[in-house]
This record gives sequence, C-alpha cells and structure tokens, in this order.
Amino acid sequence: MLAKRLQPMVFQARRAYVELMFQVMGRALQAISEVDDSTRNEIRPLPPGFLFAMQVMPNGPKLIMEHTGDGRLHYHGENAPGPVDLSIQFKHMAHAFLVLSFQEKTSTAFAYDRMLVDGDISLAVRITRVLNRLETFILPKLLAERAVKEYPETLNLPDKLLNAARIYLKVVTNFVETVRA
Amino acid sequence: MTNKYYEFFCPVKVVAGKAALEHIPFELMSLAAKRPMIITDKGVRAAGLLDPVIAACEESGLEIIAIYDDVPPDSSTTVVGAIAKVYRKEKCDSIIAVGGGSAIDTGKAVNILVSEGGDDIAKYSGAGILKHPLKPFFVVPTTAGTGSEVTSVAVISDEKKGVKLPYASPFLLPNAAIIDPRMTLTLPPHITAATAMDALTHATESFTCIAKNPLSDAYASAAVKKISQSLLKVMDNPKDEGGRLELAQASTMAGIAFSNSMVGLVHSLGHATGATCHLPHGLCMSLFLPYVLEYNLEEIRAPLGELLLHLEGPEVYSATPANRRAEATISAIRKLRDQLYKRCELPRTLKETGKVLESQLESIATMALDDGSIMFNPKEVLFDDAMAVLQRAWA
Repeated sequence: MLAKRLQPMVFQARRAYVELMFQVMGRALQAISEVDDSTRNEIRPLPPGFLFAMQVMPNGPKLIMEHTGDGRLHYHGENAPGPVDLSIQFKHMAHAFLVLSFQEKTSTAFAYDRMLVDGDISLAVRITRVLNRLETFILPKLLAERAVKEYPETLNLPDKLLNAARIYLKVVTNFVETVRA
Repeated sequence: MTNKYYEFFCPVKVVAGKAALEHIPFELMSLAAKRPMIITDKGVRAAGLLDPVIAACEESGLEIIAIYDDVPPDSSTTVVGAIAKVYRKEKCDSIIAVGGGSAIDTGKAVNILVSEGGDDIAKYSGAGILKHPLKPFFVVPTTAGTGSEVTSVAVISDEKKGVKLPYASPFLLPNAAIIDPRMTLTLPPHITAATAMDALTHATESFTCIAKNPLSDAYASAAVKKISQSLLKVMDNPKDEGGRLELAQASTMAGIAFSNSMVGLVHSLGHATGATCHLPHGLCMSLFLPYVLEYNLEEIRAPLGELLLHLEGPEVYSATPANRRAEATISAIRKLRDQLYKRCELPRTLKETGKVLESQLESIATMALDDGSIMFNPKEVLFDDAMAVLQRAWA
C-alpha cells in the first residue's frame, strides 16, 4: 500500500534524475570536445551542423547536441534548432535510469534492446565512443568501470584528474551562465 | 537479482526437407495469394534452380505471373523500383525470392514498395519506419550461409548517392522460408565452404557476444553441431542431399540466432574487408573467425568452451580439461579451415586471398571501428586492437 502511494514520487525522482544527468552530460560533452583532442578526432568526420539527440520515449527528457565544426560540440538543451540527424532513444524512463545511474553499460543497453537508434548506425557507434571517453574521465574509476565495456589501461590518474577538472569547471561555468541568462 | 534481459522474435514459418518446394502452392493459397512474382538472379536461373519451383507451382495449378531474373550481386534502388513496376503492371499479389542474400534483400525491398506504395524505396530506409504488414512474401534460399530468410533487415545501394541504405523492420520477415536440399545441391565447393563458414560464424558470434540469450543459444549451438557434422561430408560428396539439407537448416538456425543476439568483431572486420577489397562475405568470416576468438578469449572462455561439445562431439569434449576447452574450440575451427583449404583452397589468411594489400589494413581497421556490430563484441576494440587482429590474420 505504502509502496503504491510512494510510486508517483519514485517516478518523479527518477525523471528528475534523468533530466539532471542529461543536462550534465550535454554540458560535459560540449566541454570534452573543447579540451580533448581524441574526442575532436572522433567528432570531426560528422558534418558541421549535424544534430544528434538522446531522449526518452515517448516524450521524456532530451539532450540535443550539435557539431559546430572542427570536432566541437554545442549543447542545445532540449530544443533542436532543426531536424535531428541521429537520435538514440531509450524505450522507457526506467531504461534511461539504469544506464545513467551506472547500473547498466551503454553497450549492454544496446544489446538488451533498451534503446533504438534512428539514423546512421556507424555514427551512433562513434558517439558511443565519445560518451565512453567522457565517462572514463569524469567518473571515479569504480563507477566508470560499471559504465564502459573496458576501462582504458593507458589512462593514468594525473591525466584523468586534470581532464576531469577542466571538464567539470566548464560544466559548472555553463550551468552558471545558463542560470544568469 | 540480475539485470539480464533479452528479446527473441522469429515468426517465419520454416518449411524444410524433402519436397519442401511442393508446399509453396499451399502456403501461398493459405494467405489468399494467387498471382506470385519470382525475384531471382541470372545465375540461379542458369543453374536451373527455378525449374523445380515453377514445376511445383504449375502442378498445383498455380501460375507464376512474372519472373524478374536480373538482380545484380549488389542490388540497388533502381533495380527495386524496376521490379516494383513489373509487379504492379502484372497485378501480382505476392513475392517469392529465390537466391542468395542479394535476391532476398531485393525481395524484401520490393515488398516494401508494392505494399506501401510509391516509387522511392529510399524514403523507407531506417529502423521501424514500416507500421503495417506487407504482401505475402516467401524466400527460397539457394545458398546455405546468409540466413537472410529469417532476418528482418535488408541493405540496398543508392547508386545516385553512393551509399548503402539499411532497412530494418519485423515486417520485412518473410511469411515462410522454404528449405529444400535441391536448391543447394549444385553449389560449387568453394561457395559451399565459404557460406557454411558464414553460418558457423553467425552461430559462434551469436553464442559468444554480449546479446546472447538462452533461445538464440539453442539455435546457435544446434547450428554449430550440424555444420561440424555435415560440412566435410558434403565437401567430399557434393550430391549428398541429406548433408545439404543439414547445412541449409544450420544456416537458417544460425540466422535465427544472430538476428536475435547480433554478431561482433568478426563481422565488423569482415564488412570492412568486403567493402575495401571486394571479397565475398563468407570468405571474410572464415578468414577472421579464429583470430577474433583469440582476441576475445578471456571474455568468452566459458561459452566458447561449451561450443567444443557441438564442434567435436562428447568424447573430445569430455577428454578435454574444462580450462582448455575454449582453446580447443579455436583449434577445431582452425582444423576445419585447414580441411577446407585442402579440399577447395578456401583461403585461411588475408595474404592467401591474393586480393588484400598489407597497406590496406589500416583503412580496414578504421572502417571496422564504425561498424554497428562492434558494439556487441564482448571486448572493447580500439584501433590498435583491430590492427593486431588484422596483422595476425594477414599471414
């Protein structure tokens, strides 16, 4: 009985968490494309103006990113300035929560059919690599190991901390600018 | 509590065995189809493989209304549009695709156009675009490898844009797959070998990659057993109808398995090599299978070890220590490749193909990293890893 009463609150909390994580991820993706050469190399083959979205079906939270050129990404929040070229859609809020709370790896979520890709699959693979790289930088190793298929052996602690600090600084700055605006 | 989850879907009626072709008229009639069109290629027609299909229909008073026999190896949007025109002009009401992967994919794409309307197949490209069942569609495979008769995808080239358009929808699945040993009886030895290795790869990757599930495992392991028991027998005696049927069924079973649990790095490298060097898909699978299994070994030790039972039988399995079974499985696959090389010179290394340059390996590795199947590989693959596998497969 109590569980049933609490259910709407659980749903709300889950939605709020996913929304917050999308906001952090969007800003962090923009930040990593500014500080990391490997990420820019991954993004560069996408045409400038290329829009990709991550979203929860049917009308859940969204994360819209644009390749502005030279491997740099821009976070557009939930509103796309044009038709989206590639979208990765979680079938349900519960599935998005599993991935964004690091209970399920992105690759596992694909394997379990929790997500749909609408657009060029090869570009979705590329975006997934960028997401993995972001997670290995900004998450503590224990959490990152749960989020990615394989934690890179070559990533040393000073590099990880330095990149994480630069990304987080840019994320916070972007949040502050958004609030001020 | 585990997070494990899977989906499994295969609504295709499998009509398999002796005189399976003679079931086509009944199956068509049960879907109220009376005016079938056959889609095939010149090779199939020249080999006389259409004759028993047509005879089976005529004997039941069912007329084949139209035959399109000019499907190229890489089917295109233009070809699909042309076939759809013939279908409409002749007022056909169903499709029978007879052939390998290209004829089957073309049949799927034509079915989209004639069911949904319009002339532009490109606008239906993508996943989940189709929302309604299509016209009655039957597939008669003439190779035993692709498994296309039970997959819900098709790939068609857009010649004008120079891109390959993917189509994915459960509505692309045929109503029935007709597996008749007569259709593969005349396959030349090297095609028999390469297509069987294609099916073996489908089954092995399905059994070892991250989307594996209990139902696809059952199909995959049974397919491996059928291939290991029948392939060399058929190579030695190509007219062995029983063996041919076993291989054809194995191909369909492996197709059911991999379409529900996907494939991994063998396919990523194989797709890239095929696109770069124009090698047949089945050959690419055979080239990379043992090297990729070695690369993935520590992630797939348990399931790979299980496959030893189906590859080599219970005596070898029980005589092999549990911790050596995965390696023994790879050795068994290498041994099978050696036997095929002895019988039809199916290449075992990239160098042996004579069509791959060492200088192409980097571009193959780069292309493989963007292949969709790499997502399902049990081990992460970076550029250096892909290059290392390619170097091992080189010579």
